[in-house]
Amino acid sequence: MISLSQVSKQYKDAPRAALMDINLEVDKGEFVFLVGASGSGKSSLLRMILREDVPSSGTIHVLGENLIGIPNRRVPHFRRNLGVVFQDFRLLPNKTAAQNVAFSLEVIGKSSGFISEAVPDVLRLVGLEEKASSLPSQLSGGEQQRVALARAIVNKPAILLADEPTGNLDPNTSEGIMALLERINLAGTTILMATHDKSIVDRSRKRVIQLSEGKIVRDESSSGYGASR
Amino acid sequence: MRAKFILGEIGVAVKANLSMVISVILVTFISLTFVGTAGLLQQQIGSMKNYWYDKAQVAIYLCTETSPQDICPQGEASDNVRKTIQSKLDSTTLQPYLDKYYFVDHAEAYKTFQKEFKDNSVAKYVTPAQLNETFWVNLKDANQAPIIVESFSGLSGIEEVKDQRSYLDQIFSVLNISSLAALAIAALMLLSAILLISTTIRLSAVMRRREIGIMRLVGASNFYIQLPFILEGVLAGVIGSLLAGGAIVLLVIFFVQGYLAEKLPFTSFVSMADAWTLLPALVLLGALLSGLAAFSAIRRYLRV
Repeated sequence: MISLSQVSKQYKDAPRAALMDINLEVDKGEFVFLVGASGSGKSSLLRMILREDVPSSGTIHVLGENLIGIPNRRVPHFRRNLGVVFQDFRLLPNKTAAQNVAFSLEVIGKSSGFISEAVPDVLRLVGLEEKASSLPSQLSGGEQQRVALARAIVNKPAILLADEPTGNLDPNTSEGIMALLERINLAGTTILMATHDKSIVDRSRKRVIQLSEGKIVRDESSSGYGASR
Repeated sequence: MRAKFILGEIGVAVKANLSMVISVILVTFISLTFVGTAGLLQQQIGSMKNYWYDKAQVAIYLCTETSPQDICPQGEASDNVRKTIQSKLDSTTLQPYLDKYYFVDHAEAYKTFQKEFKDNSVAKYVTPAQLNETFWVNLKDANQAPIIVESFSGLSGIEEVKDQRSYLDQIFSVLNISSLAALAIAALMLLSAILLISTTIRLSAVMRRREIGIMRLVGASNFYIQLPFILEGVLAGVIGSLLAGGAIVLLVIFFVQGYLAEKLPFTSFVSMADAWTLLPALVLLGALLSGLAAFSAIRRYLRV
């Protein structure tokens, strides 16, 4: 599903490589935590998988696409199979929750019939059917992240990438988002989640990949945030 | 792709960027008006050429007593000279090119001169003998004037053979230069229009970076992301070029046909038909240039 081989990334003018010799396999339906200090390469790795960036060397295959050789014009179609959420939600402030979700379908050319069915469905799934017509400014942080999640999964992606999705949320709210992510994962979506949230990782007992200075220093299944079992 | 959505996006972009869009419209308007004016001038030159070249004659000036010594050493041209010229004009070699010719002697030339220079003091000092006797030759095709000029130049008793088109050519070259000047100004202004469009697009890309970022993340195609920006540029360009087309049409109606044509009744001027043929060219040019400018700006500021 996701396969990286010997992937390195050296940014121009950076003192050391952002990623070094990364080898990684993620199978369908897995839930993987990416942990590590700031600057350890978690976000770089997610950017590579999303094909926002290409590695300096090595190969990346995601969903059968070779991300090194993929022509630029195919990148948008490739991205339609991936959902992404971020720490800062990235909602459009002048659109309601429902419009934010609908926007992501409109711009990939979905019919209005499809949109008018899919948007309420996904808002119900994330527990926000009551808030469909609220603006982001009228929603709490947790609710905004739910909208972002709804937007990420409304097109039924095979993979969900989450970059510190609970980074701005209090522990209780984070719990709720985690529960939602686990439900999405159970429905068959592969999830790759970069996080600093020790308690969530420790409680979930899932596969943990730890990065340090651009290298994978630990890759264990059913593990915790810190050292091995 | 849903047209309503795209139109909505353009509306948002234009509203957010209104003053820039207006300046793009104005600059394209003015620059294309210059382009159109240059086009009109060229058409004017064309129609004047057609009109005047047909009327232009070749003049064969005979020597007079006062002609320069080195050209006319024998002084006043003799009857023989006149007969030679006449028989040459009637000959089978030249006859096919000629429409007609006529001879003007001293007395007649003096009469015409007095009439044309009635209010000029020079008329008082000129005597009939000073004015050249002249064969005026009308050609079937004015472009064949050099044949006549060559046949008679240098013959003894002839002071000069003059193709009248050479006078007209000076006027046309003045008109030509002014149309080139208009084109040069237009080129400079089109350049600034292109830069303005590029800046406008860049601004709206910055203002809408949030939307663009999300569009990229959810996999909107480049075309879908870029189209509203390109259409925004093209829309401004087309409005500007339509205004320019309107200005050209008004120029022809009020200035050329309404003013010039009345002041100079015997000149053929550009018509409304000429102005209408320019219009689609201007709109096409405006749309094309603004579209290209927008497209190249987007290439730079909106990457995948």
